[in-house]
Amino acid sequence: MSRRLGRRGWRIFASAIILLSFVTGALAGPARVASINMCTDQLLLALADPEQIAGLGPYARDPRLSWSATEALRYPRLSGEAEDLLMLQPDLVLAGRYGKRATRDLLRAKAVPVAEFDVPRSIDDVKSQIRRAGDLVGHRERAEALIATIDEALSRTRAAASRRHDRVLTVSRRGWIAGGDSLTSSLLAAAGLSNAASDLGLPHGGFAALETIVASKPDLILIAEADPAAEDQGKALLLHPAIQRAYPPNKRLVIAEQLTMCGGPMLPAALDRLTAALDRIGH
Amino acid sequence: MRCGTTSQGRSCPRNCKRIKPSNMPLANRLGRRTRRLSASQETGRRHRSNSFGDGPAEGIVLKISLAAPGAAATLVVARAADRAVLPLLIGGVVLLFLVSLGVGAVRLPIGSVVAALFGFGGEIQQTIVQDIRLPRALLAMAIGAIHGLSGAALQGLLRNPLASPSLFGAPQAAAFGAVLVIATGLADVLSFALPFAAILMAFASVFVLIAVAGRNSSLLLLILAGLALSSLAGAATALALNLSANPFAALEISFWLLGSLEDRSFHHLALALPFIVCGGWLLLARRDAFRALSLGEETAQSLGVNVAGLRLQVIIGVALGVGAAVAVSGTIGFIGLMAPHLMRPLVGHDPGRLLWPSALAGAALLLAADIAVRIIPSSTGIKVGVLTALIGVPFFLYLIMRERRRLGGGLA
Repeated sequence: MSRRLGRRGWRIFASAIILLSFVTGALAGPARVASINMCTDQLLLALADPEQIAGLGPYARDPRLSWSATEALRYPRLSGEAEDLLMLQPDLVLAGRYGKRATRDLLRAKAVPVAEFDVPRSIDDVKSQIRRAGDLVGHRERAEALIATIDEALSRTRAAASRRHDRVLTVSRRGWIAGGDSLTSSLLAAAGLSNAASDLGLPHGGFAALETIVASKPDLILIAEADPAAEDQGKALLLHPAIQRAYPPNKRLVIAEQLTMCGGPMLPAALDRLTAALDRIGH
Repeated sequence: MRCGTTSQGRSCPRNCKRIKPSNMPLANRLGRRTRRLSASQETGRRHRSNSFGDGPAEGIVLKISLAAPGAAATLVVARAADRAVLPLLIGGVVLLFLVSLGVGAVRLPIGSVVAALFGFGGEIQQTIVQDIRLPRALLAMAIGAIHGLSGAALQGLLRNPLASPSLFGAPQAAAFGAVLVIATGLADVLSFALPFAAILMAFASVFVLIAVAGRNSSLLLLILAGLALSSLAGAATALALNLSANPFAALEISFWLLGSLEDRSFHHLALALPFIVCGGWLLLARRDAFRALSLGEETAQSLGVNVAGLRLQVIIGVALGVGAAVAVSGTIGFIGLMAPHLMRPLVGHDPGRLLWPSALAGAALLLAADIAVRIIPSSTGIKVGVLTALIGVPFFLYLIMRERRRLGGGLA
C-alpha cells in the first residue's frame, strides 16, 4: 500500500520537475549562469533562481567583502579562472569589465557567452545594472522590485539629509581615497554631503599621503570600521595619531566596506546605514 | 715575520698582509693598544697554562717594531682627520634630519616647519610636522644608525669587509618573524609581539648562518649561505601573507620585502627604539674587543678577549637592533654594507673606531634615501628599500671586484 502510494508520489514529483524545468526553460533566461566577479555574484544571487546559479566567484563567500556571503555558501565556488568555467559550460558568464581580461577573451574564444558589467559610478548606474542583470537571467520583475526598494531607501535618506553640506573624505586602508566620480560620492550626495576627494585632485580615486589627507581638512571622514584593528600595515594608517586626533568618533561616518564596494542588493542597506550614521553624529 | 708556529699557521698570511704602508697608523694604534692589553694580561697569562705558546706575543712585538718607523707623520694627519670626522658626520645628520622635516607631500615653507616643530603656527601644520614628519625622521635616523652599526660590527667580528646584516638575511628573516605573527593573527602590527618575533628570527638567522658557514669560513661561503637564507626568508614572508586571509597581501608583501617609512607614528618609534638602543649599546660596548680581534682570533683570545662571548654579544646586538628596526620599517637593505665602507677611508681600518662613524653614516644614508623617495615624483610612493638596493647593489658589486683584485684572484 505504502509502496504504491510512494511510487505514485514519485511520479507526480517527477512530472512536476519536468514541467518546472520546461517552464523555466521557456519563460526564464538561461538555465545555468555563472559569475566570476564579486559584484555580479551578488546581482546574480539577488535576481536569479537558485537552480539557475551554476557557480560564484572566489570572493562571494568572504563576509568582509560580500554582502551576500552566507547565501553564497550554498553555491559552488569557482576559481575565477577559465578552467573550471570551461568544464562547467554555463549558458552565460557574468564578469566585471576590469581585470581578468585574458579569462574573458578565452571564454569568448571557446563560445561561452560573457556579459560584462562596469563598476557602477552612481545610484542610477546601479539601477540600470540591476535592470540589465534582471533581463539577462529572465527575472525583470525581481529587478523592478529591487529598484523600488532602493528608491524607497533613497527617499528616506533625502528626507533626513544634512543641510550643512559637510565635506566628507572616504579614507580606506593605506590612504586610498574614493574618488568624486564614484558610487560612494553618489550616496553622500543623496545625504546632502559632498566628497572632498575632488579637492585633493583625485576625481577617480587614488592613494593620498597622510599629510595631504590632514591638510585637506575634510569636515568628516567616512571609514569602513568604527574601531579598525591594525591587522596589517595598510590598515595601521587609519590608527595614525594624526587621524585619530583630528577625527574623533563624532566626526566619523562608519559604513562597512561590503555596503559600498558594489552596487546591488546591498544599496538600500547602505543608504539606511548612512542615514543612521548622520543621525548618530548629530546632524 | 715568522710564520712558523703551528697555531699561527693559518692566520699568519693575513696578518703579514695587514702590515703594509697604507695601514701603518692602524698597526701602530693596535700596537699601542695591544701593548697595554698584553701588559695587563701578562700576570694572568703566566699563571695560566696556555696552549698558544709564545707565538702571538712574538707576532705583536714584531708588528710594533715594523709599524713604528714610518708611521709618525701619517698618524698626525689621521688623527686630525679623525677628530674632524665625527663633528662633520653629526652636522650632516642634523642637516638631513631638518631637511627630512621640511620635505613631504604638502609643501610647507621652512619657517612654518620650524614654528610647527616648536608648537607654534596652525594646527594642521603642527600635526603634519609633529605627528607625521618628526617620527618618520627620527625612525630613519635610528634605523639607519643601527643598520650602519650592525654592518660595522659584523665586519669587525668576521674580519670580513663584505659582511652586513642584509647580505646575511637578517632583515629578511626578521620580516618573516613579524609577518608570521600577523598572518597567524596572534597580534596586530602595533603590538610589541611584532618586534619580539622579528628579533627572535633575526637572531636565529644570524646564528644559523654562522653555524652553517663556520666562523672562520671564507667570504664566499658566508655570502652564499646568506643569499640562501635571505631568499628563503623572503619567499617565506610572501607565502605567509599569501596564505593568510588578507586580500591585500600583494601590497603587504611589497612593504615587508622592500621597506618603507611612510606615515609611521610615535607609536612605531616606541616599538622599535628601546630595542635599537639596547642592540646599539651591546655592539658599541665591545669596541676594544673588535680591535683585538682584528689581530686574529687566537691573538685576541690570548689577549683576554672571550671570542665566543663576543660573537654571541654581537649576534644578539645585531638581532635586537635590526629585528626591531625591521618590525616597523620592513626590510631596508645595504645601509649596513655601505656605511662602514664609506667611513673606512676616513677613520682608518680599526674596527673599534669604525663603529660610531658607521652608525652616523648609516643614519645619514637612510635619512637621505627617505628624503629622496619623497622628492622623486611618482604616482604611488616609492619604497625606500628600493632606493637603498639600487644604490647598494652596484656598490656591493664594486666591492666584490675590489676584493677580488686585492686577494690577487681573477676569473682566469
